[in-house]
Amino acid sequence: MSEEFKIIFSGPMGAGKTTAIAAISDEAPVSTDVVNTDRAAFDKELTTAGLDYGRIEIDAETSVRLYGTPGQLRFRFMWDILGHNAAGVVILLDASQADALVQLDAFVEAFGAGKRAPLVIGVGRCAEPGALALDAFAQRLENHGLNLPLFGVDVRRREDVLLLVDTLLCLLEVSDPARLHA
Amino acid sequence: MSAGPRFGRVATGMAQKHLDTFAQTTPGVVSAVLMSADGFEIVSLQVGKGGAARLAAMGSSLSAIGSAIAKEAGIVECNRMVIESDSGTVVIMNVPESRPPMSLAVIANDNSMLGQLLWSAKTCCAAIARAFRE
Ligand SMILES: Nc1nc2c(ncn2[C@@H]2O[C@H](COP(=O)(O)OP(=O)(O)O)[C@@H](O)[C@H]2O)c(=O)[nH]1
Ligand SMILES: [Mg+2]
Repeated sequence: MSEEFKIIFSGPMGAGKTTAIAAISDEAPVSTDVVNTDRAAFDKELTTAGLDYGRIEIDAETSVRLYGTPGQLRFRFMWDILGHNAAGVVILLDASQADALVQLDAFVEAFGAGKRAPLVIGVGRCAEPGALALDAFAQRLENHGLNLPLFGVDVRRREDVLLLVDTLLCLLEVSDPARLHA
Repeated sequence: MSAGPRFGRVATGMAQKHLDTFAQTTPGVVSAVLMSADGFEIVSLQVGKGGAARLAAMGSSLSAIGSAIAKEAGIVECNRMVIESDSGTVVIMNVPESRPPMSLAVIANDNSMLGQLLWSAKTCCAAIARAFRE
C-alpha cells in the first residue's frame, strides 16, 4: 500500500528552506516569496511570507509532501498551521549566523524537541569563515539532554537535502514500523 | 509603533491620513492595517500595538498564499481577497504598483456593505500608492 508523508522544513530566515524544497521537489514548487524589506535581518532579495510546497516520490510506495515555513518570529502562527499533522520536521540552520545556537534552541523547542514528531537538523554554511562548528550544535543539543540527528548540509545540493528526508523516513519507520509496511 | 521610518516618514504620514479618511467615510470599518508584503506594519488604524503587528503578518501570509493560488489557477494577478462571515468582513487588497509591495487589510462589521467597502478601500489604496510614489 502506498503512503504519503507530510514533512515540514523550518528554521530561521535565510537558512535555506525554500532552496531545499526546490532542490528535491519532483514538480515545480509553490513559492510565496515576496520582496524582503528587512535587509538587516538577512540580506537577500526575497523572503517567504506564506509557505513553500513541493512533492517528491521516494519510491513506488512512498511519497512525501514538503512544506516550508517562513522563518521570522512574526510568522510563528504559520509554523503551527503547517506543523499540524506533520509526520516529521527538518530544521535548517545557518552556521555563519552569530545567533545560530539560539535559533537552534528556539526551533527545536517550537517543534516539540522530537517528542511530538521525529526531528532532524541540517546545518548549512559550516565551511564559511567564522562559522560555528557542527560540534557546537551537537554540544548544545546534548546540554539540553537531546540526541537528534544532525548533519552539515548544503541545501543547494539535492543529495544533502535527500539525506535529511531519508533520515526522517527511517526515524518514522523505527517509531512506527507498521506504518511503512502497512 | 510601526516600522514607519524604513518606509519613509512623509509617505507613511500621508498613508495614515488616507487611512483615517477611509475609516471616517466608510460605514462599518472597525480597523485597518497597511503592511509590507513581507509582513511589517506600516501604518494602522484602531488596532492595539500587538494586534496590528499580528494582523500585518497574517495578512501578508494570506496575501502571498492568495497570489500563489491565483497563479496556480492561471489568474495573472490577485488584487484582493475577501473573507466573509455573518458578523463581519475582512478585505486584503494589494496597493497597486507600490515599491516595496504592500497591501491593506480592513476589518469591517455588519454595518458595512461589501460593494461600498471594496470601492472605498480601492480608492484608499490608489491614494496610498500615489503617496509612496511621490
Ligand atoms: N554561498 C552559499 N549560499 C548558500 C548556502 N546554503 C544556502 N545558500 C543560499 O542561501 C539562500 C537561502 O535562501 P532561502 O532558501 O530563501 O532561505 P529561507 O529563508 O530559509 O527560505 C539561497 O540563496 C541559497 O542559495 C551555502 O552553503 N553557501
Ligand atoms: Mg523561504
